[in-house]
Amino acid sequence: MNPTGILVTGVGLALPGASRPADLLRSAPTAGEPAVDPAAVLGRRGLRYKDRASQLALCAARDGLRAAGLLADELTVPGGSVGVVVSSNLGNLDTVCGVADEIRELGVNGISPMGLPNASSNVIASSVAIRYGLRGPNLMVCNGATSGLDAVYWGAAMVAAGRAERILVVGVETRNRWVSGLSGAPEEQLLDGAVALVLERAEAAEARGAVGTAVLGRYARGAGEERCLDRLLDGSGEAPVAWFVPEGGPSTGRLAADVPRSDLSEVFGRSSGALGVLQCAAATGWFAANGADGRRPVLVTSGTDRDDAVAGFLLTPVGAAG
Amino acid sequence: MTAALPVEPGTLSQAVVGLGAVTSMGEGVDEVFDALCAGRSGRAELRGFDRSRFRAQHAYEIDDRPAGGGDVPGRATRWLVRAIEEAARDAGLGEDLAEVPILIGTGLRELRSAELKWRDGAEFDLAALHFGTALRARFGAVRTYTFSNACSASLYALALGSDLLAAHGADAVIVAGVDTLTESMYGLLDRVHMEPPDRVRPFDRDRKGVLMGDGAAAVVLRRDGARPGGRVRGRLRSVHVNCDAYHVTAPDPDGVAEAVRGAHRLAGVKPEDIDLVLLHGTGTLLNDEAEATAIGRVFGPHTGSPLMTAVKSMTGHTSGGSGLLSLIVALRSLESGRVPPTVGLRTPVAEAADFRFVQGTSALAELRLAQVDAFGFGGVNAVAVVERADQ
Repeated sequence: MNPTGILVTGVGLALPGASRPADLLRSAPTAGEPAVDPAAVLGRRGLRYKDRASQLALCAARDGLRAAGLLADELTVPGGSVGVVVSSNLGNLDTVCGVADEIRELGVNGISPMGLPNASSNVIASSVAIRYGLRGPNLMVCNGATSGLDAVYWGAAMVAAGRAERILVVGVETRNRWVSGLSGAPEEQLLDGAVALVLERAEAAEARGAVGTAVLGRYARGAGEERCLDRLLDGSGEAPVAWFVPEGGPSTGRLAADVPRSDLSEVFGRSSGALGVLQCAAATGWFAANGADGRRPVLVTSGTDRDDAVAGFLLTPVGAAG
Repeated sequence: MTAALPVEPGTLSQAVVGLGAVTSMGEGVDEVFDALCAGRSGRAELRGFDRSRFRAQHAYEIDDRPAGGGDVPGRATRWLVRAIEEAARDAGLGEDLAEVPILIGTGLRELRSAELKWRDGAEFDLAALHFGTALRARFGAVRTYTFSNACSASLYALALGSDLLAAHGADAVIVAGVDTLTESMYGLLDRVHMEPPDRVRPFDRDRKGVLMGDGAAAVVLRRDGARPGGRVRGRLRSVHVNCDAYHVTAPDPDGVAEAVRGAHRLAGVKPEDIDLVLLHGTGTLLNDEAEATAIGRVFGPHTGSPLMTAVKSMTGHTSGGSGLLSLIVALRSLESGRVPPTVGLRTPVAEAADFRFVQGTSALAELRLAQVDAFGFGGVNAVAVVERADQ
C-alpha cells in the first residue's frame, strides 16, 4: 500500500503570489495578487481552445519539468518514461454547463465544435502529455476533497509498479461563475491556479544526476481524520514537524499544540482537487526554508469528517528516509 | 511498508471472482450476455433530452427516469451501486466493503447531474460528482477512487487495481466503470459528425459515427494466494496503459499498437495466442480505422486468426465503462464458447478487411485467451489480456 523510495524531484507553480516552493509558506492571503496569465507564461500558441484549467496545468507542468531537469528545449528523457496524473474536481464544469446552456438556447448547430475535448474531464491530463510529449500512463483523478493526495499516491504507485520511471502530478482548480454557482462559494474565495510535482524512482533520479527535495513516505486513507491519523502515525516513526491541515482546519487535536499548522486554502483559496498537490509542494517548501529536523516528517491531510474519507501523507527530508 | 515491485512479464494471473453489469439491454451479467449473443440492441429514440435541440435522434439509454418526462440527477451512481452489488455478491464479499478498495473508471462522472443542477436547478451536491460519497453511504467503503479517464477509464482502473493486488495492498479489489450521457458530450459529438448517425456500426464502411450509451460494470479481482472465495470467472493476465501524446480527440495508430504490444508483453503471449479480440470499435470514422490499422500491424500474418467483435453496436458507446463491460463479455465468451456478433456490420473498412468478425449471429468456438481494447480522448489507451478460468 505504501510505495517507498520515491522522491519529489521537481515542483512547479502557476499560482498568484508564489513562484518558489518556499513562497507556499506565506500566511497572507493571495487575494488581490494578479491572476496567472498563461499566454504571458507560455506564449499564445496552442492555448486558444484550451480551457482555463488546462492552461494553468500547462504552466505548472512546464515549471515542474524544468525544476526537475526533465525539460530544456525539449525533454531530456524518453517521453515513454514519463507519465502524468492530474487531479481536479471542478476543472471542466465551465465547458460542461456552458455547452448545456448553449444547446438549450441555440440548439446543437449553434455550439462550437472546438469545445469537444473539454467536455471530457481528462482533457487536462492529456493536454499536458501532448504539449510536452509525455507518453507514459496518463491518469485523471477526480476524487473529491482528498483527490490531490490520492493523485500523488497513484502517481507513486505507478512508479513503484514499474509503469513509469517518473510521474508528473498536477493539481488544478479554477475560478469562474460555474464553479461558484454550483459550489455556492463566492468567486473570490476560489483557488485559480495549478501546482505540479515530479515524482521519481530514486534510482532513476540518481542515474541522471537529479536530487530530490523530499521523500514520499506513508500514505493512508481512513473514515475520518482520527482513523486516517491512526494509520499514518502508529508510533513507528518520528513525530511530524509541521502539519498542512485540510480546508476548514483539522477535526482532531492529535498533534502537540506547538506543531505548526497551516491551512493553505486560507492563503490560496478553496482548492478542492488541487489541495493535496499544493500541500505536498508546500512540504518541500518547508524543508527548503527550515532544513531537516532529523528525520521528522511533514504531515499533510485532506478531507474532513464531513467528507467521504480523509487522506494523509508523510513527507520526509531527503537523506533521512528510513 | 514494503515497496511494490514490477510484476515479471508472463507471471500475472489474478482471479476474477465476481461480475456485475447494468446496461440498456438489461441488467445482470447473464441477461446482458444473453441479449448480446442474441444480437439485441438497447438503441431507441433519444429520451433524456429535448430532442428538438439535436440532429442525432437516437441513443442507447437506460430509461429509468420517473414517468412524466424530465431527467433526474444521480442515475449513473445508482447503476454503479447495482453493478457493484452484483459483483460483490458473486464474489461472496458480503455487504461491508470498508476494507475493500473500489476503483471506478468513468468518462463523465456525475456531470449530467451538474448540468441538471446548473441549468434546471435540480437538487445535487458537488460532493456526489465523484462516486466515493455514495459508496461510503451504501457499503461503508473508504478506499474509493474515481478516475475520469475518458473511454478507457475502467481498464485504466483495472490496471491500477491489479497493481494494488500485486503489491499486496489488499486481498481483493473491486474495479468498476460507469457512465451516462451528458447533454454537453452528446451535443458536441452530434455537432462534429458530418451527418448524424442513427446507430453505431463499428468497422462498417457506411458507419456515420458514434452514439452514446448508458451502463455500468464491475468486477472483483482476488490476489493470488489470498483466501479463496467466489467462483473463478476468469483470470487477468495483463493490462497495459499508455498515452499517444498526439491529439486531444484523434487517435494515433502508433500509440494504440504500442498499447496492444505492451499488453501481450506483460501477459507473456504472442499475437497468435489470442483467440478473441473485444474491439473498442466506436463506429467513429477515425477511431475504427486507427484501431484496425494498429491491430493489423501488431498481428501481422495472424490478423485473420482471432475472432473479433465489437459490442458497442448493441450497447452504444458506454464511454468510461465500456472497457470493463467488454472485459466481462470476453470472460463470459471464454467460459461459454459463445461470442456475440457485431450487429450492423455488413462490409468492413479496408483496414479491417482481413479481420475474422463475428457477423449476423453469435459464434461458437473453443477459446482460451482474449484481448480487450479501450481507447479514449486524449490518446489514453488501455489493453487487457484475460484467460479462461480452467487454465
